[in-house]
Amino acid sequence: MNKLIPTILTFLFISIFPNLIFAAASDEVKTSSEDFETTTSEDEIYDPLEGVNRAIFSFNNVADKIVLEPVAKGYKKLPSPIQSGVGNFINNLKLPLAALNQLLQGQSKNAAESTGRFLVNSTIGVFGLIDVAENIGLDQKEEDFGQTLATWGVGDGFYIVLPLFGPSNLRDTTGMFMTMMTDPINAYAVTQGESWAISVKTAANAIDQRSQIIDEVNALRDNSVDYYAAVRSSYYQNRKAAIMNTDDDVLTPLPLISIEFE
Amino acid sequence: MHLIKILFFFIIFLSFNANANEARNWLNQEIDIIISAYKNTDLPNENKFLMVENTINNNFAGTGIAKFVAGKSWNGASKEVKIEYIKLFKRHLALSISSMMQGYSDQQYQLTNSSYDEKNKVTLIDMEIFSDTGSIQLTWRVKKSKDRFFVIDLLVADISLVVTKRSEFNSMLKTVDYNLSEFNKKLLSQNESSYQKIIN
Repeated sequence: MNKLIPTILTFLFISIFPNLIFAAASDEVKTSSEDFETTTSEDEIYDPLEGVNRAIFSFNNVADKIVLEPVAKGYKKLPSPIQSGVGNFINNLKLPLAALNQLLQGQSKNAAESTGRFLVNSTIGVFGLIDVAENIGLDQKEEDFGQTLATWGVGDGFYIVLPLFGPSNLRDTTGMFMTMMTDPINAYAVTQGESWAISVKTAANAIDQRSQIIDEVNALRDNSVDYYAAVRSSYYQNRKAAIMNTDDDVLTPLPLISIEFE
Repeated sequence: MHLIKILFFFIIFLSFNANANEARNWLNQEIDIIISAYKNTDLPNENKFLMVENTINNNFAGTGIAKFVAGKSWNGASKEVKIEYIKLFKRHLALSISSMMQGYSDQQYQLTNSSYDEKNKVTLIDMEIFSDTGSIQLTWRVKKSKDRFFVIDLLVADISLVVTKRSEFNSMLKTVDYNLSEFNKKLLSQNESSYQKIIN
């Protein structure tokens, strides 16, 4: 434990400091307004490790095709109450950290709701298997350390593709490590000598999440001239919306497209 | 005077609402055409796609989107190359949309909300697609021109199809030094590969 803390602090320092340096560069928008009008469309995402990232992306893509997608398709064939139960159980385990991050972002109302959701679903909802809380107006609102760091002004940093974990950036990778280190469920599993449960939880989450976007991923993969760039752009747009907590589509960048007739 | 102001704003609100509802009804009809094409088991896949492509060509602002997506490569290209690119892009768009809609064809959907964004003159239509275990949120961005509606973008879970395409095309255009003519060859090859996957 004594060795672990300095290691974490060193990692955090190395991770966050370059974030601050690269924040400005990653937010650069390179567009030419001569031939089209645009507002905040980002053509260039800061990706200095593109060569390495593309190699890892190819590996992940093969792993997805061989392992994750077939497993997710099999999972999708299970009776829907089982799928819902697994999804609800995993989502419930995320709530303590979601509440903490909501507090750190100054969202006290959301933090109270997440805490209430966790208490209701863990008890009346039979260890989180049934989402009772949604019926009483306590909706799931996810927040993670990556979003918290962004709210505190930490920039994206450069784009990274993590082996098996997929697209990320320096800030969100830091957030992911912070989640791993502070998750009370993980800590409990370790203290009980049941560390394997962490891997099972991570794998179950990946399968559950993947099963929900089988068609979307296939449509993107089959129809992209550059699948890597399409995933990179999708990741940034999705994260930006999550950080801004935007349910309002007006806030998503609007391409100013003219209507022309040939 | 105060009453006139209230009345004025009320009329403005009603006209925006009417515009949003009109766009919503139009979109509902067009989506039904696409979904029913995919549900028709007697129709060969080639014909299904041609029906969908026709619907998309008639209802998407294909040329405007193509220009936006081409970015800075547009200006340097000749007229012939631009015409060829627009033709290829429209097919690419149809393949992308129909591939996505194909996955939704056996699911229930509902247009949940529509609103008019006065600032950008765009109608936003939210659509929820239901499955046994949850739902997915889509937003259609629609513009009116010459008394017709045109889709200018489709958002799936806050991800814009047009912005993603622009980023993706930009990455590929970079490899051919923003030469649209060279890029057309890659787009043609991608379209052929996507078409084979759609019809088989």
